[in-house]
Amino acid sequence: MNINTNLKAENTYDAIVIGSGISGGWAAKELTEKGLKVLMLERGMNIEHIKDYDSAMKAPWEFERAGKLTAEQKRTHPVQTRDYPYNEATEKWWVNDLDCPYTEDKRFDWYRGFHVGGKSLMWGRQSYRFSDHNFEDNAKDGYGNDWPIRYKDIAKWYDHVEKFAGISGQAENWPLLPDGKFLPPMDLNCVEKSVKERLEKHYNKTRILTIGRTANLTVPHKGRGSCQYRNLCSRGCPFGAYFSTQSSTLPAAMATNRLTVRPYSIVNHIIYDKETKKAKGVMVIDAETNETMEFYAKIVFVNGSTLGSTFILLNSTSEAHPNGMGNASGQLGHNLMDHPFRVGAEGSAEGFEDKYTYGRRANGIYIPRYQNMGNDKRDYLRGFGYQGGASRGSWHKEVAELAFGENFKNTMSLPADSWSMGLGGFGEMLPYYENKVYIDHNKKDKWGQSVLAIDCEYKENEAKMREDMMNDAAEMLEASGIKNVQPYDNDCYPGMAIHEMGTARMGNDPKESVLNRWNQMHEVNNVFVTDGACMPSSACQNPSLTYMALTARACDYAVKELKKGNI
Amino acid sequence: MNRREALKSVAFLMGSAISATTMGVLFENFVLPEKEKNFVSFSATDEQILSEFAETIIPTTASSAGAKAAGLGTFIPMIIRDCYPANFQKLFADGLKEMQIKCSEEFNKDFIAMSNEERNQLMSSLRDDAIATNKAPSFFLIARDLTILGYYTSEIGCTQAREYLPIPGRYDGNVPYIKDQKAWATN
Repeated sequence: MNINTNLKAENTYDAIVIGSGISGGWAAKELTEKGLKVLMLERGMNIEHIKDYDSAMKAPWEFERAGKLTAEQKRTHPVQTRDYPYNEATEKWWVNDLDCPYTEDKRFDWYRGFHVGGKSLMWGRQSYRFSDHNFEDNAKDGYGNDWPIRYKDIAKWYDHVEKFAGISGQAENWPLLPDGKFLPPMDLNCVEKSVKERLEKHYNKTRILTIGRTANLTVPHKGRGSCQYRNLCSRGCPFGAYFSTQSSTLPAAMATNRLTVRPYSIVNHIIYDKETKKAKGVMVIDAETNETMEFYAKIVFVNGSTLGSTFILLNSTSEAHPNGMGNASGQLGHNLMDHPFRVGAEGSAEGFEDKYTYGRRANGIYIPRYQNMGNDKRDYLRGFGYQGGASRGSWHKEVAELAFGENFKNTMSLPADSWSMGLGGFGEMLPYYENKVYIDHNKKDKWGQSVLAIDCEYKENEAKMREDMMNDAAEMLEASGIKNVQPYDNDCYPGMAIHEMGTARMGNDPKESVLNRWNQMHEVNNVFVTDGACMPSSACQNPSLTYMALTARACDYAVKELKKGNI
Repeated sequence: MNRREALKSVAFLMGSAISATTMGVLFENFVLPEKEKNFVSFSATDEQILSEFAETIIPTTASSAGAKAAGLGTFIPMIIRDCYPANFQKLFADGLKEMQIKCSEEFNKDFIAMSNEERNQLMSSLRDDAIATNKAPSFFLIARDLTILGYYTSEIGCTQAREYLPIPGRYDGNVPYIKDQKAWATN
C-alpha cells in the first residue's frame, strides 16, 4: 500500500487502542488524560449513549415481534442463540455468527458484541478484586506460570478504577476477596438476611454471604444517575447507572479533545518494523467498504477482547515473528480459561409470607471462595464462589392441578405463597497449555480473514470441583433453614460464562510468557495487551474489574516509559 | 426482553403451573426448521374458539379483563405456528378439532354456542383426561399454558391483573405484604 506523506501524518497518533470495550475504554481514558493523542479503533458500529438504547424504555407488551426471535435471526446467530443473552430487546449487541465464523475443535460458545462499548454494554457488572491467594496459586500448585505481580502491585489501581467506575458493595475483610472503595451497598432482602445470619453462624464465619459487588451506582456519581431498580441493564441504561464505555470512560476521554474513535475498523494485524524492533502501527479493514488502510503510533494497546486480541497477535506474522507477534515463548494462544458454572441448588424459604419486595434489584448475593483455605481442604485444586439470591415469584403450590377459572386467575395474580432462594457456583478453571486457539486458514470471514479455531475443554479438576459446587450449595441452604432443597447441574461448556481469558499470559520469564509484569510484550516493547488475554490464571471471581485495574496500571507505566524515551 | 423472553421468565416463576411440554419448547433454544414453521393454519373460527377457550381459563373478573380482551385468540395460534415443532403443531390442531367433536357429541352444540357452565364442564373433563394421561402433551395442556403465559405478559395482564411498575427508583427487600396485594408484573 502506498501512502503519501500527508496521509501518513494524518494517520499518525501517539497511541492506538484496539477495541472499545471495558479495557479499551479505560486505555483511551488513561492515555488521553495523560496527554497522548489517541486513536481508538472499533470493529463494529457506533452506539451513542442513551440515544441508541432502542429498547430501554419498552414495556413487555411493546415489542413488535410478539413471538420470539425470527427464523432469520436464528439462522444468522446459531451460536448467540445457544444461551440466554440474545433476544429481541438486546439483539443489536450480539454478532451475526455467519459473518464471523470460527472453528470448534471442541464445543466452545463464543459470545461476541461488535460495537463501540463492546461487552461493557452487555456485561453482568459483578466486580470483585483478586487476592494474593489468587496471584500465588499458580506458583504454589504448579499449574500455569507464576503471576509476575502480587496484590500490593495492583491494589492502588483497583482503588483508582473503583473510585471512577462506581462499585457498590459491602466491606467484609475476607482474605480471598479484598475490600474496595465502595459506594453504599444494595440491600439484602429479608430472606437473604436470614440465610446470611444462619449460614455464618452455622459455619462459624468460615463462610460468609455478602451483597453482590456491582458496577451499578447506588448514589449519583460523577454526573451519572443512580440505579432505578428496573432490572433492565441488558438493554443499555438510560440513566447511565452502570459502568460502560459510553457512560463512563468514553466521555472522560472525549473531554480531553485528544481522542479519535473510528468505528467499523477491523484490525487485521499489527505492523512490525524490523529496523526498530517495534510495532509501527496497524493494518485496518474498513468493515463497511472492505478498504484497507494503515494507522501509525508510538504505542499500541491491544484490547480487542481475549480471543479477539490473540487472533490479531497470531495474525501479525513477520520474519522476526513467524508464529505470531511476541510468540517466541510458544505460549501465545495457549492456556485458555473460562469459569465453569450452571450448577448449584435452590429451595424455598418459609416464614416470610408477610414480606414482599419493592423494586427490582439487578444484583444478587455473593459467597466468596472458602475452599482450600485454612482448614478447608478439598481433593482438587483452587475453588469456587457462589452468586445467587432470594425472591418471591408467582408460583402457587396450593393451586389444584391444571386449574382454571376465576379462582385460579385470582390466585395467579398474587405473589407466590413462599420465597425461593438459590445459589449458583462459579469455579476456577486451571490453565492448561493444551487448551488453545490457533488460526484456521481454511475458513474465511466476511472480510476474507482467516478465522480462529478453538480447542478447549474442562478437565478432571473442574469435574471434581463441580460436584462440590452442587453439594455445598445444597448443604448451605439446608443449614440456613431453606426447605425442599433441589441440587441441579445444567451442564457447562467453556465460553458459556463469557469469562474467557488467558492465551497471551503475563510472566517474568520471556521464555514462558508473552507479556511482562506491565502487560508489555517481552519482545516488542511498545505493544501492551491489557484485556482478558493477559491472565495467567482465572481465579473464580468475575474478572472485568481486574482488567480495568491492569489497564490503568499499564497505561501509567507506558506513558512514563514513553516520556523517558525507553519506548 | 422480547415476548418469548417475557414468557420464559413468567413460565419460570410459575414453576409447575406450566407443563413440561411448554417449558421444553420455551427453554430449549432449538431452531425451528423453516419447513416446520406455519405447518398448520388456523381459521377465523378457530381463533374465536381459542379466544373463548382462553377466556374460560382466565375469565374477566371484577378486578380485570380476561384472556379474550388480552388478545389470546390470535396470540395462541401465532405462538403455535412460530415456536412449536411440526409434530406439536399437528397435535394441537387435531386436538382442537377433537374438542369440537366432543362438544357436538356431549353437548349437542358448537363450542361457541355453549354456556359458560357447559364450557366449565367441558374443561373439567379435558383436565381429567390430561391428568389421567399423566400430562402427556395435548391440546388442552398447551392451550392452557399459552393462555397463562400470554395473559400475564399482555398489557391487561401486566397492568390490571398484576401491577406494572416501570421505574421503581429504589429497592426494598423487606416491605410488608398487604393481604390481597397484587403481584408485580415483571421481576
